Amino acid sequence: MNIVTKIAAASLLTGVACTSFAQQAPKGDAANGQRAYLMAGCFTCHGRVGQGGNFNSATPALANTVWPVEALVAFLRVGLNDMPAFSKEVLSDQQVADIHAYLKSLPGSKSPADFKLLNQ
Amino acid sequence: MANAQDDSSNIGRRKFLTGAALTSAAALTAPVMPAAAQTTADNTASRTPPLPNLQTETQPPTADPVVQTSSGGDFMAEVLNALGIEYLAMNCASSFRGLHEAVLNHTNNKPEIITCPHEEIATSMAQGYAKIEGKPMGVICHGTVGLQHATMALYNSWCDRVPVYAMIGNIVEADKRAPGAEWVHSAIDPAALVRDFVKWDDQPASLQHFAESAVRAHKIALTPPMGPVLLSLDAELQENPIRDRNALRIPKITNVIPPVADGRGLEEAARLLAAAEHPVIVVDRMARSAAGMQALVELAETLQCAVVDQAGRLNFPSRHPLNQTWRRAAVLGQADVILAIEMNDLWGTLNFFADRIERTSHPFYKNNTKIITLGSRDLYMKANYQDFGRFNDVDLAIAGDGESSLSLLTERVKASARSGRKNVFADRGKVLTQAHNATLEQLKTQATIGWDASPITTARLCAELYAQIKDDDWSLVGSAIRVNWPLQLWNFDKTYRWNGSSGGAGIGYNAPASAGAALANKKHGRLTVALQGDGDLMFVPSTLWTTAHHKIPILYVVHNNRAYHQEYMYLQAMAARHQRGIDKAHVGTTITNPNVDYATVAKGFGVYGEGPVTDPRDLAGALSRALAVVRRGEPALVDVVTDPR
Repeated sequence: MNIVTKIAAASLLTGVACTSFAQQAPKGDAANGQRAYLMAGCFTCHGRVGQGGNFNSATPALANTVWPVEALVAFLRVGLNDMPAFSKEVLSDQQVADIHAYLKSLPGSKSPADFKLLNQ
Repeated sequence: MANAQDDSSNIGRRKFLTGAALTSAAALTAPVMPAAAQTTADNTASRTPPLPNLQTETQPPTADPVVQTSSGGDFMAEVLNALGIEYLAMNCASSFRGLHEAVLNHTNNKPEIITCPHEEIATSMAQGYAKIEGKPMGVICHGTVGLQHATMALYNSWCDRVPVYAMIGNIVEADKRAPGAEWVHSAIDPAALVRDFVKWDDQPASLQHFAESAVRAHKIALTPPMGPVLLSLDAELQENPIRDRNALRIPKITNVIPPVADGRGLEEAARLLAAAEHPVIVVDRMARSAAGMQALVELAETLQCAVVDQAGRLNFPSRHPLNQTWRRAAVLGQADVILAIEMNDLWGTLNFFADRIERTSHPFYKNNTKIITLGSRDLYMKANYQDFGRFNDVDLAIAGDGESSLSLLTERVKASARSGRKNVFADRGKVLTQAHNATLEQLKTQATIGWDASPITTARLCAELYAQIKDDDWSLVGSAIRVNWPLQLWNFDKTYRWNGSSGGAGIGYNAPASAGAALANKKHGRLTVALQGDGDLMFVPSTLWTTAHHKIPILYVVHNNRAYHQEYMYLQAMAARHQRGIDKAHVGTTITNPNVDYATVAKGFGVYGEGPVTDPRDLAGALSRALAVVRRGEPALVDVVTDPR
């Protein structure tokens, strides 16, 4: 089960909560989201521009995420493997929505064929 | 401690000191006074200090020799040369001044002395050197305090199964020690401090004993599983004259031929592998030489099976299509037979583990998967330090040196494989090749994210660096970013392209071990580079001085993420778990305020420095200029401000 599948599963498992959240979902602000992303330490594992990285194993890239905000909220509240859970007490729904907006705003990956240095 | 045979007389250095002290004491208690003074002694004795007795204070005792024509250290130096030890890394200290002087003047600085500002640097250099050169480098430390400095590096060497030839000075006989430092620098059993993580130690009582123990230590260090050894050298033994050089002999130096695995075990392993639908090879510290890598390639190609290289050494070419390192969970999940060769942590490789409040784990492999181990680790273990990892179920455990046993295993696999299996093998190889290529493409795609970002991504850094070294005979000898991006993006096709990590994960390894590896690479004309963590460099910055002083050509590229980043992540996880202060995890984990200017630090140690580089567009120029310095035989450092990983 890859990470996206696990996220989707987490969303389904918490479907009620997600639906409830979606109905009241605050609008995310990317600038605030960048501040929250850095403050909450998301960058330590996933990189400042969402490029991914390594903790005890590879940590996924998040730039230009395709996850819906509900999935991100659901995932953050439970975590996965070495990814810790972030409760509402330390990261509010508004902050998560902001982080989601920031991640959506980041340029995602490109075709490596266009990068000479990646084809040596 | 030297015995009578080794001494030309029983008057040694410390007897001279004793004699001098007694004479001085006599002068104080019964001063020889001028006649005029004696006449008024009653009136002035308490007010007039005694005049010096020139004869007493400038002449040595008549029986005390003032020169000697040989020393035990001379013989010790000859033994070290006979062992083929090229370098002797040290931070100078009085407890081995006898050997130090002998190496300089009796054997003309052979082994060549490498001056190190810290014993941890000296020992880590020896670790890095041995992994490139395939033989030990000498290290000598001060008794007690010097060895205490060296302990972490010895522990790394132990965990990394690397032969390091360590020595210390000691003054065994209490009545020979001068007051003060010689007492606190002596111990009854100095090796006790490190006995849990050296393979063997001794404290020779005579020069002949030294010769035999020196050869024995060399043999033990190089016998798989390899490891560090320690000799404690008595100062009197080093310094006193040799009574009869002809009575001393250096034993024949015959290293142990590594043990080859039992034929029946290999036969059974071959049968299982040849019959498997999805055999997988996992390997960690196997290849010591090109022959080891070639033997693994031949086995994998014979089976057309997946190989997962844990990179304790460079065991398998990174771009070989059967290399499935980045698909570990997938190939292990499919495996019906797993061959694990020279694994450091078998359980950790074959199992998933989650660092949660309730720690959980499960195998990547299926219940009915057969697991075969081949390696030398089972032949030598110690109890206290837990570097062996959790116990894993194994179906067939074969003791034997991996590198030496592989070709025999391949022969048996070829004999076991029925002719009809070759098509199955070939089809399997095609599927794995496709998966390898797809994974590589996926990783390259991820590398494009944040390509122009500042701080610079580690992917961009690695791509820029490789562009500048790929046409040289390069060798990456240290990596603070783990070795993922290099192994994913670079063509590692020779064993010396990568020499593994610290072993014990002790910080302060990377900079000096890389310098030691560069010293080994120097005579082979290789271009040595190291991805150097800022936190690691903060432990041992004076390594840079050693590289400048000895003109060791190496490029340090500082992965300057301004943090002890692994700990930063752990602390973040702790705070999140406790639902408090997730904005405070930088406290105690970051290296900021002030930011360290490593280029200036390098310049202060006499090393060419560039940086801090913050714009990825400036990387190519900075690396190019620094590499020009390295190519002309000197060290250089480029400080790159990077994103965390």
